[in-house]
Amino acid sequence: MALMPKRVKHRKSQRGRISGNATRGNKVVFGDYGLQALQGGWIKAQTIEAGRIAAQQYVRGEGRLYVRVFPHKSITSTPLETRMGKGKGEPEHWVATVRPGTVLYELGGVTEQQARVCFARLAHKMPIRVRFVRRRLA
Amino acid sequence: MAEVLQANLRQDLGTARSRQLRRGGRIPAILYGHGEQNVCLSVPADQLAAALRHGSKLVQLQGDVVDSALIKEVQWDVFGAEVLHLDLTRVSASERVEVTVGIELRGAAPGVQAGGQLLHAAHEVRIRCKAASIPERIEFKINDLQLGQTLTLADLRLPDEVELMDDPAAILVQCVTPQAELEEGLPAGGEVSEPEVIGRKAEQEDEG
Repeated sequence: MALMPKRVKHRKSQRGRISGNATRGNKVVFGDYGLQALQGGWIKAQTIEAGRIAAQQYVRGEGRLYVRVFPHKSITSTPLETRMGKGKGEPEHWVATVRPGTVLYELGGVTEQQARVCFARLAHKMPIRVRFVRRRLA
Repeated sequence: MAEVLQANLRQDLGTARSRQLRRGGRIPAILYGHGEQNVCLSVPADQLAAALRHGSKLVQLQGDVVDSALIKEVQWDVFGAEVLHLDLTRVSASERVEVTVGIELRGAAPGVQAGGQLLHAAHEVRIRCKAASIPERIEFKINDLQLGQTLTLADLRLPDEVELMDDPAAILVQCVTPQAELEEGLPAGGEVSEPEVIGRKAEQEDEG
């Protein structure tokens, strides 16, 4: 099943705005290489999962993949051919709100060349522009 | 060996002047410490990039200011692509300083060849040593790491006169059995279950 929170305080949320760049979650922390978002946007839980599967198939058994984003936000929609009114629609899917600079995935235990190929496969799944980043030296 | 940075004194301060400097290929910096006056400097971006790439902590300032300094803090932009500002602190070569250095794993672990997964937990370590003898990085050989084995910071072989400041019991690297891949997919019938709403049950019972 695609990612979603276990417990929430409110089922529905307002749309909100994505302003500015990521000031946290913008560094490679767990692995050696990362995939960094260059644009802001909503990434669906299904998309995060599709990326995870694409990467996992490549690094199977060798490296360790870390997913750094989680879909906390519910997106509602009203059914087709519905008359106006009757309130806000029902939650349809869950998304992660991503600011430019956010590290989406990390990879450890593989060579840089392997990580580049793996993230290139993963990047095709992403609805936003992304780039390959390395862990910064201490 | 300390990297050399050509330092120029910076008279015009402020955001706009700093941006102008960065456009011109120089990075604003400040030098402080040893009870002396703070000095605002600018250093060439390419020289600084080389120093950071090599993992140098100690730099030799030349030009308007001649001194040896320790890189105290580096401010990066949000994408981690460009350096915005540099903090330098005055040090003498014999002074003992506390710095963070990277740990580099070397060799191939037999545990990985046996189907294990290498988990590198500590990528950097805090050490105390003489400013002149700060290692650029600490290399750690994992040629004896077997499947299921865990090595801690205590297993690090530090150079002479280098003291470990972090907890020696902290995990450095492990070789673990890979977790079975989670087979995830939408539940049959395409019906997506919803998360539990905090406090909803209590509310409904009150109403009832």
